[in-house]
Amino acid sequence: MEPQDIYYDKNEYVETASGNKVSRQTVLCGSQNIVLHGKVIVQSDAIIRGDLANVRTGRYCIISKNVVIRPPFKKFSKGVAFFPLQMGDHVFVGERAVVNAAVVGSYVYIGKNAVIGRRCILKDCCYIEDGAVVPPETVVPSFTRFSGSPATCTEDLPECTQDLMMDFTKNYYQHFLPAKM
Amino acid sequence: MSISAPVNRRSNLKIAAGAVVCEESILKGDITIGARTVIHPKASIVAEAGPIIIGEGNIIEEMATIVNRLPPNIVDSATPALQIIGNYNVFEADCTCEASKVGDNNILENKAFVTRDVELTNGCVIGAACSLIEPEIVPENTIVFGSQCHRREMNDKPYPQIGQLEYLMRVLPSYHHLRKANIKVKSDPAT
Amino acid sequence: MAYLFQPDYVRYVCSCGSLKPISKMYFCRHCLKIRCGYCVCHEADSHYCPNCMENLPSAEVRLKKNKCSNCFDCPCCFQTLCTRAGQAPLRPPASSADAKQDVKATPKKVYYLSCSLCRWTSRDAGIPDQYVATGGWPEQENPNSTRISTLIDFHKVLASKEKQEQQRKKFPTKRTFLQYEKFGLTSAMVRKRAGKPLEPKSLIQHSDQPAPAVANEEVDDLPAGIFTEAVDITKITTLEQRLQHPDVQAEKINELRPQHKQFLVKRSQRCRGCEHNVSKPEYSPQSIKFKIQLAAFYHVPEIRIVTCEPLRVGVASELLLKICNPTQHQTQISLLPLDTPTTPTTVTASGEEQELKRENIQMGSESPNLLPLAVRQISVTEDPKPITVVSGAEIALPECPLFLPPRDDAAEYDETNDASHFQDDKKVVVWRKGNKIVVRLHVTPFANEQNKGEPVIVGFVLRHGYVNTLATLEHKAPQKSELNVQLFLTLGNLVGTA
Repeated sequence: MEPQDIYYDKNEYVETASGNKVSRQTVLCGSQNIVLHGKVIVQSDAIIRGDLANVRTGRYCIISKNVVIRPPFKKFSKGVAFFPLQMGDHVFVGERAVVNAAVVGSYVYIGKNAVIGRRCILKDCCYIEDGAVVPPETVVPSFTRFSGSPATCTEDLPECTQDLMMDFTKNYYQHFLPAKM
Repeated sequence: MSISAPVNRRSNLKIAAGAVVCEESILKGDITIGARTVIHPKASIVAEAGPIIIGEGNIIEEMATIVNRLPPNIVDSATPALQIIGNYNVFEADCTCEASKVGDNNILENKAFVTRDVELTNGCVIGAACSLIEPEIVPENTIVFGSQCHRREMNDKPYPQIGQLEYLMRVLPSYHHLRKANIKVKSDPAT
Repeated sequence: MAYLFQPDYVRYVCSCGSLKPISKMYFCRHCLKIRCGYCVCHEADSHYCPNCMENLPSAEVRLKKNKCSNCFDCPCCFQTLCTRAGQAPLRPPASSADAKQDVKATPKKVYYLSCSLCRWTSRDAGIPDQYVATGGWPEQENPNSTRISTLIDFHKVLASKEKQEQQRKKFPTKRTFLQYEKFGLTSAMVRKRAGKPLEPKSLIQHSDQPAPAVANEEVDDLPAGIFTEAVDITKITTLEQRLQHPDVQAEKINELRPQHKQFLVKRSQRCRGCEHNVSKPEYSPQSIKFKIQLAAFYHVPEIRIVTCEPLRVGVASELLLKICNPTQHQTQISLLPLDTPTTPTTVTASGEEQELKRENIQMGSESPNLLPLAVRQISVTEDPKPITVVSGAEIALPECPLFLPPRDDAAEYDETNDASHFQDDKKVVVWRKGNKIVVRLHVTPFANEQNKGEPVIVGFVLRHGYVNTLATLEHKAPQKSELNVQLFLTLGNLVGTA
């Protein structure tokens, strides 16, 4: 089905010059360390932990409600370091997902209530199903669909995944409109 | 840990000196927070049925929920139930802990759920998205993981997250407003 | 539909008769036919480790039994193991003398494998810690390895003999006629002519044959305590854990050993009709690009359901469809009833419409498969499967053709409305932007007692113009043709009767 229009309250969202639409009801900790590369939607009650380490997203990323984006830490012999979290272009993160990854590639779909463990690497064009739990330090290869807890590869993705995801995130952005008063 | 200072009567929120409690955390009811405990923004602690006592060196991440919930079908219990959280536990993002007693060095991973009739002893790991809903006492060093909640006894005990605590205590104050500590702590001579 | 998380509301009919969403189909531009995963040849292009992304040539992969030498899976929960560094474990010193030594020795870094999901470590299994970060882990010997290797050796001999035999067969074909004249038809030749293999008895020399496995009725007795001792479930492996490692099948938890990680493959797809590639990924496992990408999504107009009014038997409901032209050429689309023949047509130089046959499709004649004939997989082509979908509604299709401009990636930034270039019937085309249009149709569900409770499905044929840009010697200008593809749309359940 074609996506339906999603209307938001104009007063709730801030739109930046580069087209980012960020809800005022989010918690962006350490906002100077967060870079949203344009046309990114961050919906209400999402939490981005820029205070722990840098967080960068590409263009056309959709961060749904109640998502937690949290840079991962690693223990060393001399204490702990938090690693920056990088996200590519055209990434969808579903409601209430917890993303602890080190790298999220481009054209990635993360379903509702999914958990991406510490320092995971999600390669370009992969799909994490709703409620999947990807254990820490897992590498998710391109063109795979992961589901379950612990998440395992259950299917291959079609060759045109890149364009499907581009189409999906662009469409989502175009249908994310201020409500008419 | 022994608490000696006069308790602020007006607030029933008691924060020991040395704890890092972000102002954006949600704290409701009678809560005592021990020294070196870190509470991230948007973590919620709700003392509904009775007081919650949280020990030292715990990490409570964003969206984590610690609730002292009333037992079902009881609206107002005569004797307030006490919820005790020990030392050096980690409550990861979006987990829910209703357990009446939590020992030391336990980890509740992302989206883990523990109901009120469960007691966590020491060194247990409740894996991501695992739920414990039946009354039980979880033996020491147990790990629960996967969709079927498989269990194992770990040979390696989870270490207290000293490194992470130190980092968070250094970094969080420069980014967040903190709630002020209102009690002083006399550390035990033993520790 | 076309999104990855939706059920397949719109299904296209493949040349083999399967119904698939457009994202899972290919379009062979040599045969001008739609292909799907069932009716193409899959070939393994490259092997790679899903964890460290190392890719190896296939000969080496075979040697390593399709497993990565550096990455391991947890034998307990089958997740990837991580290498952890630690100080040499501080054990309580047995005597004071040991303690003194410990103080003097510089703390050495040791490495062990650890599972981040179930916290299994190589120390659990009693595997000694390593002093280097990668490799050096003890390999577990397969108890039956000698037997397996003798069997493999024997089969290698068999294979080489068979190959020799085949080569011998190739050369003397001319002489057989003469032989036939001289000695009459021998039984061996009859077999050969009938396409059967030569009698096998000459192939095997009995001396080479390994001793056959012997079935034995005598089994060791069960241990005496089996019925009396309490079972400790936490110390016994599960069925999954045993089957994950079939050659050892450890019974006790502490006998589990880390398993080498299995390689994944990148596949290319080849059309069975003409043996051209319809999809060939780049070699590198990190790359998501393709050398050849003939997915139907880029060549056949895509149809999506926008909205559909609630369906009632005998009442016309409005159905909005979005049609998108993915190609670089303007195309003309018509929607035709389901019983339209789906053979492709083309317009000849003289202006006549003619049926497109294999002969007049622009394509190279010889097979592009570069593999030598002997190793090549012979394409198996099947007759198309019959389609069992029953249309549950009458659909009113527009009579006029619809024009779709070519895809233009820059158009996204173009704010001007270009709808005026096309004289559209406003009753049919309700919206137009770039290479996409939305059309309005009407469906009237039948009263169907058999399929009660099932969603209503309608079908039609999509005819679209296709410009074949394959340049060949005979045809200078790109060939234009009309292709037909059957479609089935799942619209939803009936809400009631009129």
